Amino acid sequence: MELFLQTLVNGTLIGGLYAIIGIGMTLIMGVMGIINLAHGQIMMIAMYITWVLWQFLGIDPLLSLFISIPLVYVLGDLMARYLLYPLMEKESILPENQVLMTVGIGMVLVELARTIFTSDYRSVQTSYSDIVWRLGHISLSVPVVIDFFIAIAFTGAMFWFLIKTDIGRSIRATAQDKEAAILMGVSAKKITILTFALGSSLTAAAGTLFLPIYYLYPDVGPIFTLKAFVITILGGLGSTVGAIAGGLVLGIAETFGATYISMGYRDAFGLIIFLLVLIFMPGGLKSLTKV
Amino acid sequence: MKYLKVIIILVLTAAFALSISGCGKKADGPVKVGVLLPLTGSKAKFGEMEKNSFELAKEKINEARTKAGLNKIEFVYEDDTGKPDVGRAAMEKLVNVNKVAMVTGGYSSSVTFAAAAVAQQYRIPFLVNTGSVDKITEPEAFNLTTDDGDKFYIYRLNPPVSEYASGLESLLREVVKPKSVFIIHENTAFGTKGAEAFQKSAEKLGIKVVGDESYSGGTVDFKPMLSNAKKLNPDMTYMISYVMDAAQLMKQARELNWKPKLFVGAGAGYTMPAFKENAGVASRRMVSATLWHQSLPIPGAKEYFDGYIAKFGGDGPDYHGAEAYAAATVVDDVLKRCNGNYDAATIKKALDATDMMTVFAPVKFTSYGKKIHQNKVETYVVQWIDGTLKLIWPKDLANAPFEYPIDWTKIWAK
Amino acid sequence: MTTEQTNKNPLIAKNEWFIILAAVVLPFIFHFSPYIQGLLIFIMIWTVLGSSWNLLAGFTGLVSFGHAAYFGVGAYVGGLLYFHFHISPWWGLLLGGPVAVLFGYLLGLMVFRLRGPYFALGTLASAEILRIVFGQEEWLTNGHNGILYITTWVSKYPYYFVGLAIALGSVLTIKLVMRSKAGFYFLSIREDEDAAEALGIDTKLYKNIATIISTFWAGTAGAFYMIYMGFIDPEVVFALHNISIITILVGIIGGVGTIWGPTVGAVIMVLVQELFRSAFFDLAPSWVSRMHELAFGLLVIFVILYLAGGVVGDWDIIRKRLHFKRAEIKE
Repeated sequence: MELFLQTLVNGTLIGGLYAIIGIGMTLIMGVMGIINLAHGQIMMIAMYITWVLWQFLGIDPLLSLFISIPLVYVLGDLMARYLLYPLMEKESILPENQVLMTVGIGMVLVELARTIFTSDYRSVQTSYSDIVWRLGHISLSVPVVIDFFIAIAFTGAMFWFLIKTDIGRSIRATAQDKEAAILMGVSAKKITILTFALGSSLTAAAGTLFLPIYYLYPDVGPIFTLKAFVITILGGLGSTVGAIAGGLVLGIAETFGATYISMGYRDAFGLIIFLLVLIFMPGGLKSLTKV
Repeated sequence: MKYLKVIIILVLTAAFALSISGCGKKADGPVKVGVLLPLTGSKAKFGEMEKNSFELAKEKINEARTKAGLNKIEFVYEDDTGKPDVGRAAMEKLVNVNKVAMVTGGYSSSVTFAAAAVAQQYRIPFLVNTGSVDKITEPEAFNLTTDDGDKFYIYRLNPPVSEYASGLESLLREVVKPKSVFIIHENTAFGTKGAEAFQKSAEKLGIKVVGDESYSGGTVDFKPMLSNAKKLNPDMTYMISYVMDAAQLMKQARELNWKPKLFVGAGAGYTMPAFKENAGVASRRMVSATLWHQSLPIPGAKEYFDGYIAKFGGDGPDYHGAEAYAAATVVDDVLKRCNGNYDAATIKKALDATDMMTVFAPVKFTSYGKKIHQNKVETYVVQWIDGTLKLIWPKDLANAPFEYPIDWTKIWAK
Repeated sequence: MTTEQTNKNPLIAKNEWFIILAAVVLPFIFHFSPYIQGLLIFIMIWTVLGSSWNLLAGFTGLVSFGHAAYFGVGAYVGGLLYFHFHISPWWGLLLGGPVAVLFGYLLGLMVFRLRGPYFALGTLASAEILRIVFGQEEWLTNGHNGILYITTWVSKYPYYFVGLAIALGSVLTIKLVMRSKAGFYFLSIREDEDAAEALGIDTKLYKNIATIISTFWAGTAGAFYMIYMGFIDPEVVFALHNISIITILVGIIGGVGTIWGPTVGAVIMVLVQELFRSAFFDLAPSWVSRMHELAFGLLVIFVILYLAGGVVGDWDIIRKRLHFKRAEIKE
C-alpha cells in the first residue's frame, strides 16, 4: 500500500510537470498543424538562460521565470516570423517542410549551445533543493512540489487566456477551423507567430522549472520532445485541459509501469500508449471531454 | 540532367582534395600516438579528465625526451563522442589518415570494444586504459585463441569490470557482513557486465541478491525503481552508473528516505568530483569501489594529483585520470624501447616486455583465464567523507577510518 | 511528362551511364585511400536510405519519421544470425530486405490508418519502441552490448563495389517503378489520397507496394551496414536523429520526389560533415571541426527556405543564379 501510494504521488507530481512540457506543443500543433521537433531544444535554451542567471547573477530559478519566459517568447517570435511562417505561404511538394525546418532549427540551437557552453553537465543547487517533506511514509520533494503547483498555475492561466480573451479565442478558432477563422477576419500570420511564440515561452517555463530537479547539457532536449508528443496526442491537439490530463496519464502510467513491470521499459510505456491512442482514439482525451 | 555532373564534380574534387591531404608523412617529426576519448557527449567529463592527464604527462615526457635527444611524442586526440560507431570511424581515421604508431585511450566499454576490433584488423597496437568490459582482452571475442598472443594487438592496463569489486569483497566480508543486496545498473555493456560480476561476488560472499534492475542513462525519475528497492529492504545496494545518473539516483534515494546499511557505487560516476557537486547532501558517506587513490603509497601518485590541481584547478582527478597518465608513461616507455623503429611488430614486442611502475599501478601484461595482455591491478574502496574522497580500504593503506555504521538521518540532514 | 515520353527514354540515360562507369572505373585509376573509400561507402549507404525514404515520402506522400525501424531490423537480421548461430552475416544481405518488408507490412497495418503528421508521429514512435525493446531483450539481441562481427576484409574495395551495386539497385528500381503505372498512382496518392480513391485507385494496395519497395531497400542498407561496420547496437541502428532524421534531411537537401535527389543529398551531407569534421583537412583552425553539425543544420535551414525542391528539384533556379552571376562578371 505504501509503495502504491508513493508511486501514485510520484506519478502525479511528474505528470504535472509533463503537462507544462506538453502544453506548448499542443498549442503549436493545434494551431499550426505542425510537429515541432525543436521543442526540447527550446526547453534546453530556457534551461541555459536559467543556469546562466543562477550561476553568474545568483538569481533563483523561480525568479528567473520572469526573464526566461520573455526572452524565449522573443526567440519564438523571430523563429516563427523569419523561418517558419514564410514556408506556409510557399508551395512545396511536402507539407512537412516546416517540420524539417524545426529539425534544422533544433540542430543549430544544440550546436550553438555546445559552442558557447561546451558539453559539460550543468546543474543548479538551490537552498531548497534538498528539502523533503514526509507525510507518514510518503516522501515529497519540495522543489518538485513547488514546480508542480507553478506548472498547474501556468496551465490554468493559459486555459483562462484561451477561453476568456479575444486573442485566445482567435487562437482557438484558428485551431478548430483555419479557413473559417481567416474569413472571420483573423490574421493567419499574426496568429501563427503569436502561437509559436506563446508555445515556446510555455516550453521555456517548463525548462526553467525542470532545471533544479534535473540537470542540463546541450543534448538534453530530445527526451522532452518525445514526452511532449505523447502528451499532445493523448490530450488531443490544441486542448489545454487535454494537456493536463495527458500529462497526468503519462506520468502515472510511466511510474506505475516502471514500478510494477520494468524500469528498463519506462520510456516505452508512454510510446505504446501513444500508438494505441493514435490508432484507436485519434482525437485524444479531448474527444471525451469536448473542451 | 545537368545536375548529374554536379555529383561527379563534387565527388572528384573531394577525392582529389582528400587524397592530397592524406599523404605527406614526415620521418623526422614527433612520434604520433592516437588517443581515443569521448570529448563531447554524455561522457565528456571523463574524456576531459583523461585528456588533461595525457597533456600533463606529455609535458614531462617531452621535456625528458628533448634532454635525451629523442623524438617528441605527439598525442592525436580523436573524439569518439561516446558512441561505438563513431569510435570505430575515429580509430580508422587514426590509422589511415593520421598514420599513428599506436593507439591508447578507450573510455566506455562498448566504444573501446568496437574500436579494438578495428585496431586488431589493422594490426595496430592498442593500449586500453579505461574500457573495462572483460571481453576486450579475451582473444576469443576476436576469433582468436589465448595462444594467439603474437597476433593479438590489444593490451589493457586497467582491470576488467569483473574485478572492480575485488577490494570491496573483503570489506563486505570482514566489516559490513550484509545479508542482501539490491543491484542497480545502467543498461550498457559496462552496467550489465558489472552487475553480472557482482552477482557472482555476492554468491561467493553468501549475500542474497533481492533485485537487479536496469535503467537507461538520462532518466528523469528513478523513484519507481528506488521505491521497489526500498520495499525489499536490502542491507546494501550496489550501483553501476555514470556521473549524472549517479547524482540523481542518490538524490532521489534520499528523498524517498531509503536507508540501507550502505550505498556502494562501482566506481565510474561515484568517484568523480562532479558527483559530489551534483548530489550535494546525498553524496555524503557514499562508498565506492575504486582502482586508485592519490594517497596510495605509489611513487608519483601524489605529485600527479597535485600537479593536476595546480594546472587545471578543481577537486583533482580520480582513478580515470591516473589511468590516462599511466597510459602516457607506458607509451613513452614502450616507444623508448623500440629504438626508433616504430612499426607495429616492434611496438608490440616492446609492449609484451613491459614491466614498470606508473602513478596508477605496476604495469605488466599477463595471461590468465580467457584473458591475455591484461594487467593485474589491486582495487580499493573509497568513501565520501566531509566533501572529500577518502581511501578507507584495505585498512593498512587507508587514509581515513571507514565511517560505519551510518546514521542516515543525521548525515542527510542539511 | 507523360507515360509515352518517359518510356521512350532508356532506363539509364547517357549521363547516368557516365556516372556509373566513373564510379566503377575511378577506383582502379586513382588509388583511393581507405579513408576516401570509407566516405564513398557512407555516401552509398545514405543514397540507399535516402532513396528508399524518398519513394515513400517524396513520391507517395507517406512521410516516415521512423525509417530507422527498417534499417535497424535489416541490420539485426544478419547480426542475430551471426550472434546465435554463427552464420555469416552476409546472409543478412539477402534476408535483411525481406524481413524488413515483413516488418514494414506489419507496421503498416497499424500506421496506414494515420495521415499527415499523425503518420509521421506513428512511425517515429514505432522506431523508438523498437530501439527500447532491442535494448532490453538481452536474451535475443545481446542488448546494449551490441553485436560485434570481425569484418570479412580489411580492404574496403569489396565493400565499395557491393555498396555501389546496392545503391545503383535501389536508385534504378525506384526509377523503374516510377516509370510504370504504379508510379503515377503513387503520385496521385501523394497529391490527393481521397481523389485517387474516388478515381478507383486501390490506394491501400499501392501504398503497400511503395512500402514494400522502400522497406526492402532500407533493410538491405541496414544489412550492408552490419557487414561493413561489423558492429551494431540498438542506439546506433534505431537512432532517431542519426538515422531517421538524417535520412529525411538527405532527401530534402537533394530533392524530394526526384530520382537522383537522395544521391546528391547523400553526397552533400557526407561531404559537408566531413569537411567540417576534418576542419577542411586541417587547413582551418581546429575549432571548425566542432562545427560539423552546426554547418549541416544551417545548410538544412537554407535549403528549406530558399530551395524547397532541393538541389535537384530546384536545379533550374540554381543554374539561373549561377549563369546570372557569370554574365555579370563578364560585363
